[in-house]
Amino acid sequence: MKNQSQSHHRTLERFQVSRRIGWFDRFMNHFIVVGGLMVIAAVMGIFVFIFLQVAPLFHGAEVKLLSRHKLTDTVDSVVAVDLDEWGELPVLIQKDGSLRYRDLKGDRGIIENGQVFQAGETLSSIHYNSLNRLLVAGSNSGRFAYAKVGYRPEYDSLSVRTVHPDVTRSDWFDLSGKGERILFVDYGEGDSNKLAVGICLDSEGNRHVRAVSLEQDLSLFGEGGKISLGARFDLTEAIDQAIQQIDVAPDGGLVLIVAENGEVFVFFNQGGKLELGQRFEPFGDLPDRRVGGADFLLGDTSAVFTGWEGENRVYSLSLDRDKGKRLYARTKEFEPMPELPEGYFPGVRNNSFLLVGNHHASLRFSTTESIRWQRNFEFEIIRGLIGEKYDRLGFLDRTGTFHLFHLRDPHPQAGLRAFLGKVRYEGQAEPDYVWQSTGGTDDFEPKLSLVPLIIGSLKGTLYAMLFAAPIALLGALYTSQFLHPKWRDHVKPTMEIMASLPSVVLGFMAALWLAPLLDTRVPSLLLVLLGVPCATLACNWCWGQLPHRVRTSIPAGLEFLLLSPIILITCILCWKAGPLAEEILFVVTNPETGERVADFRLWWPEFTGATYTQRNSLVVGFMMGFAVIPVIFSIAEDSLSNVPKSLRSGSLALGASRWQTAVNIVLPTASPGIISALLIGISRALGETMIVVMATGNTPLKDFNIFSGMRALSANIVVEFPQAPFQGTLYRTLFLGALTLFIMTFIINTMAEVLRQHLRNRYKAVR
Amino acid sequence: MNPQWQNRAASRRRDPRGRDYISVKDYCFWFGQAQVLKGLNLDMQKGSVTAFIGPSGCGKSTLLRSFNRLNELNPQARHRGDIAIEGLSIYDPAVEVISLRKRVGMVFQKSNPFPKSIYENVVYSLRVAGENNKSILDEVAENSLRSAALWEEVKDRLGESAFSLSLGQMQRLCIARAIANEPEVILMDEPCSALDPIATAKIEELIHELKVKYTIIIVTHNMQQAARVSDSTAFFYTGNLIEYNKTQEIFLNPQNDKTEAYVSGRSG
Repeated sequence: MKNQSQSHHRTLERFQVSRRIGWFDRFMNHFIVVGGLMVIAAVMGIFVFIFLQVAPLFHGAEVKLLSRHKLTDTVDSVVAVDLDEWGELPVLIQKDGSLRYRDLKGDRGIIENGQVFQAGETLSSIHYNSLNRLLVAGSNSGRFAYAKVGYRPEYDSLSVRTVHPDVTRSDWFDLSGKGERILFVDYGEGDSNKLAVGICLDSEGNRHVRAVSLEQDLSLFGEGGKISLGARFDLTEAIDQAIQQIDVAPDGGLVLIVAENGEVFVFFNQGGKLELGQRFEPFGDLPDRRVGGADFLLGDTSAVFTGWEGENRVYSLSLDRDKGKRLYARTKEFEPMPELPEGYFPGVRNNSFLLVGNHHASLRFSTTESIRWQRNFEFEIIRGLIGEKYDRLGFLDRTGTFHLFHLRDPHPQAGLRAFLGKVRYEGQAEPDYVWQSTGGTDDFEPKLSLVPLIIGSLKGTLYAMLFAAPIALLGALYTSQFLHPKWRDHVKPTMEIMASLPSVVLGFMAALWLAPLLDTRVPSLLLVLLGVPCATLACNWCWGQLPHRVRTSIPAGLEFLLLSPIILITCILCWKAGPLAEEILFVVTNPETGERVADFRLWWPEFTGATYTQRNSLVVGFMMGFAVIPVIFSIAEDSLSNVPKSLRSGSLALGASRWQTAVNIVLPTASPGIISALLIGISRALGETMIVVMATGNTPLKDFNIFSGMRALSANIVVEFPQAPFQGTLYRTLFLGALTLFIMTFIINTMAEVLRQHLRNRYKAVR
Repeated sequence: MNPQWQNRAASRRRDPRGRDYISVKDYCFWFGQAQVLKGLNLDMQKGSVTAFIGPSGCGKSTLLRSFNRLNELNPQARHRGDIAIEGLSIYDPAVEVISLRKRVGMVFQKSNPFPKSIYENVVYSLRVAGENNKSILDEVAENSLRSAALWEEVKDRLGESAFSLSLGQMQRLCIARAIANEPEVILMDEPCSALDPIATAKIEELIHELKVKYTIIIVTHNMQQAARVSDSTAFFYTGNLIEYNKTQEIFLNPQNDKTEAYVSGRSG
């Protein structure tokens, strides 16, 4: 009995799984689960990171109150309020030409600067230009002067900054020349022009619009020399309407004169003349045509107009093709202000401007036509300002209290409209998709349209796939279905070696070898592309005409040994015949010398109107094709080889030829795999970077011309990232480009996967 | 059919050997270094059913696949000797493999319908031969499916995928597909090995009906099946033809010990 139970016990033990195996099994189970989850988490993490980098681009401005300070009791005498670049020393500009500073940081309290313009003249008008910080004063005696309201920082031994007022005043210049009283005067000065325009009242009560340009002696050291009076102009005759407002462009290049009936007269200051160049009505299409206010934006080419119902439009100078000169044309239209806009305050950092009316304030950005921020305050706004660094907003209310706000709007140029829509940038005649992230000047507008880049990516992918897909798929079909197995075993590893070629090497070859080679030999290439299929088809036809006995003498799968030399010879012949074909087909008159020359590079632009560059999409398509072919080939070959043998034999046993079997049975059955192969090829081409960077000129173009370059999204990141400051607009926009690339791949993958599943259900074979 | 073939066949019909419709002469076969068939000689009559039996690996399937030269898909295949159908060698350089295969149809061990509709499966051989006349295709499809005893079951769903059929139906579809090509010989490689007894019975019944029109060679592991369907039986063992005789003789009165051991279930 005891014996029996012992043996029973032993049997149980024998079937028991050892502890160690069980433990290890459980551990590995968990290990794999945790590992898989971590992979998913890592991918999601990358996505979330990119998303977080991109998200701020689409945020509006954030405005927070910093402080309130009582600046004055007599707001009626305030001309303007301004602020230094650090936001520490706001200044009140008063009608008598005196400046009143208030130290917000230190303990200096109110600093009275006294009268800027010295005695000897009685001030009759005063005007402040916040774009160039010029205070312009006119006098009873017909003279004017201007003062630069600047700041000067001072650092002590501990690098603590104290900001001091720094006001420099000009001499008095005679505007009227006849001692008339100045009712209003504005002044603008740039590198080449200095122009003052004003309204003078003569002793008989007639108003005259007078202008005078100033000239500065050039000094050897580039410092400003002595300024003296230049030409004098009388614009009175040219303006047949009652004048409402005069605005001299900050660079002195032109003057806008707004009439009370809503007409705007534009005088251009060119070549020592001040001539009426354009008359237009900004709100001519509205029932109330009158202009409420007009002023310039940063950059001197755009002017912002407000209407009497709160309408808000921007007009910009652009070349009018019909008239052959630069004229104002409407470029932007904003949502109307809920209140009548009474004050306009431009930003000096970018194309932002602040409109205020009664209790309402609205921060707008011209380029993207967007309202960055708006708010109704409990106080009545008299004056406003945008900080020099676009980081402060200030408002002076009816009680003389200055409200200083912190402005956080790092990416005003961004927005869906800027990235994907047509935007009319300054100087452009038409709205367009433009990518141009950096420029030479301070008032340069970054142009951040992703559309040319997306087109560039698609263009590169298209040409690469046009080249790679037929070769790779036909190659895979031939290798898997027709080629002798002995050779097949060598072809696949060779293709895999080809896949391992670093793309930078391919790009290098494309740029320095292939592009110069193809540059002069496009006709040769075209001949080869035409000749090889023709030669192959001709050979096949001849082969079919041969007696059966001859054909069977070549073992199945080795026919290519006969065809290869023929194709090689065809290639060489076509290549050599290229220049000959060029002589016959691509003759064009050289525009420089007037001779008839045979040059495809000249013929293509002449014939199609499209450009021809050496590093073009053909080169990219060719080289990127080389990167993509092995990928497509290898996956397609696998899926073709994996078609069950029974299906092939079944078809062959019914008397189908090898070709019929391949096309009717093998291809449809392998189609899901072939779709995968193409998809992975497309993804590879979309994400390919080095070849595109090196083999193209990286110009963001918007056409599909095969003989021009492109800039792909991926290449754009490489090209631009050294210029992208951390967390700047460009930095985030590059991330947006990456996200776009990701989304494009995602869409293509999803579409292909749906198609693949559909095909798989349709062509699944019994294995 | 290849016209060349027709002429040759006509000229050889008077040949005294002509009564042996298919003749295998000194046929040896290798896959690479391994010799699979070792000098076989056998003749088969027109309109008969011949069963090939023998243990696995004896070479019976290889011989079967030699009749339509399907073995040549394996590049390592080599042969010596000859197989002639109606007196014309299948290895004659004038014979195109494609026309040979049209003449010698085949049904595989595992049913292998194409990933197409039932209808397209049946008319596949006509399609690849360039026949696209709808009325001809319809007629052939119906006749073939009727011959394969499948018409009544599928006539309302010809457009459906062939994979919607049961295994037995699929195998009969493959037979219909082979018949549609109007072959003279049908090779069957263990056509019932994956089928249940009811489906098997249907196929066997079908073979009986088909032998009126076609010469059938069937490879089978099922002794009862061989006994039921065939007129003659050939027993193979390690690449040799051990015994070839009337089926009745093989099963009731085997001459060779190995044959007796195999058919009686004592070896195999």
